[in-house]
Amino acid sequence: MSAIIVLGIVLFVLMLLVGGKQGLQSFLSLILNFGFLFFSIVLIAFHFPPIIVTIITGVIVLALTIFLSGTDDNTSGLAFLSSILVLFILVLLIVPMEHWAQVQGFGLEDSDDLEGLSILIGINFVKIEIATAILSTLGAIAEATMAIASGLDEIKEQHSEIKPSRLLFDGIYVGKQIIGTTLNTLFFGLFGGSLSLFVWFHSLNYSFGDILNDKVFDAQLIVILFSLIGVILTIPITSLVIAEKWRKDNN
Amino acid sequence: MAKLLNKLPFKMILAFLLGGILLITFANHDDFLYQKPIFKVETAKKISTDKSTDSFQNTDYTYQQKLTGHIINGQYKGKKISINNSYTMSRAMDHKYYPGQKAFIILHKSGGLNATIKDYKRDVPIIFLMYLAIALLCIFLKFSGITAVGSIIINTILFMLAIYLDGFNNGNNVLLIFSALAAVFSAITLLVIIGHNRQMYVTLASTIICTFISIILSLIVFKFTHEKGIFYESMQYVTQPPRPLFLASTIIGSLGAVMDESTDIISSLFALKMERPQISKKQIFLSGRNIGKTIMGPLINVLFFIFMGETLSMTLLFLKNGNSWGYSFSMNMSLGMVQSLISGIGIVLAIPVASALTSLFAKESQK
Repeated sequence: MSAIIVLGIVLFVLMLLVGGKQGLQSFLSLILNFGFLFFSIVLIAFHFPPIIVTIITGVIVLALTIFLSGTDDNTSGLAFLSSILVLFILVLLIVPMEHWAQVQGFGLEDSDDLEGLSILIGINFVKIEIATAILSTLGAIAEATMAIASGLDEIKEQHSEIKPSRLLFDGIYVGKQIIGTTLNTLFFGLFGGSLSLFVWFHSLNYSFGDILNDKVFDAQLIVILFSLIGVILTIPITSLVIAEKWRKDNN
Repeated sequence: MAKLLNKLPFKMILAFLLGGILLITFANHDDFLYQKPIFKVETAKKISTDKSTDSFQNTDYTYQQKLTGHIINGQYKGKKISINNSYTMSRAMDHKYYPGQKAFIILHKSGGLNATIKDYKRDVPIIFLMYLAIALLCIFLKFSGITAVGSIIINTILFMLAIYLDGFNNGNNVLLIFSALAAVFSAITLLVIIGHNRQMYVTLASTIICTFISIILSLIVFKFTHEKGIFYESMQYVTQPPRPLFLASTIIGSLGAVMDESTDIISSLFALKMERPQISKKQIFLSGRNIGKTIMGPLINVLFFIFMGETLSMTLLFLKNGNSWGYSFSMNMSLGMVQSLISGIGIVLAIPVASALTSLFAKESQK
């Protein structure tokens, strides 16, 4: 049996043992997310507009991840709304930045892997890179909105007379606690993902300037920076959405 | 809303805005720092268009443009040259130049001064985005933002040192070096985030134990499946034996997420223990499990999308080159998938391990 399937079964059993029904739902969302990710690549290969396909996939993936991670529906709904807002702001940042930075497609380091492949495929790789960036940030946005929304939910439950402005303040406080660790998830992900690339840079004596302008590295770096900016934006936006809803409910 | 606006630190925003303008202005004029010759485009004119169709019926266009401009650094500074550049509609490995943009060039001195374009100069947008992220961190999170950036800088330096050490040994001890780095990474990061106390040691133990067990578990799976379906030859940018390099990058990549999960669970449990000192060990363990299971799903997704996202361009290229879905997946996404699964296992393991460690060791602090 393929190692991927066995690893998947190990993960599934562990999630089921530790999380019960919630574990089952989370595993299901992982499978569905993979399905939607692969399906969107296939759609792009069939010349559907990449950015639109990705935004639709993004909304579906956010919904799946947030609603299937299993807190109550009210919180999940607000978290979902906030995550969509963050996604759209990020898209507005990603599109011009990708045009400016021009990190699409492949770099000189990819030459070996491209041997025998035709790269003239008639699809604009700038759009593909925009799609990549949007998809890569989805996980981080979903995680941050869930963390803040469930943190605030806990507070609402314990102090049912809390003022909306106070709730907003608490949201930022919860955000401060999660940002340090989320930053680590993202940057260790970057370190891990670019490890072999850095070994390459070192053995071929790239200078600092070479690395700063390297297409392949920059593509990975800006995806992490987009995710980071997404997480930072999530903190005030989620807090604001939840506080506003709380204000409406109390009036 | 108005209240919120009043709370925004306007002085800080203004300072960052000013600093940003200065930094970007400097980055726009940093050409003198580069050894390689840089060319600034002044005029760009399209001179020809070619339509091409490959053997898989992909239609694309190749354009030629004539660029004129000046070299703006080095010994040929101020020399005016013209360069032909070709770009394609798909832009996979090329770039369409507009007036005002800069490029690194290679000079050929045979028979006058000729040059070919090497690559687009993209340091300004990269610096801009880094600065934007740091500024937002500091504005929204104040002091916590600054410490977070500090820990990233320290870790980057350590990472570079490890890469250097690995190169020094020609990659013989890559797994050992990066396992050690993983331990040092976790210790430093947790010291910065949590501070030097019992909670930090419990979190550190949980992070290291779970990362370690997840790798051991995976190695066992690899052994029994004979690594079927894992294509190390598809790994990119390898200059060393790929297998240990892959494992090393998986350890480092999953470390942050395992740390994230452990920190979230343990800090909540320590807070709980402080509020209710009489709470039983079993109760602590169960609370830890409750906190952990809501965050594990989203957290696994974070790494999943980062690891899989970067394979998108190459997978698409494989699909457009007439390869089947299965082959395109295997050659591009299988390694990212394995990495996601291994880190997922580490993240899930962190729930019982972090909860158990806290229930065992939080108690002793009361004595």
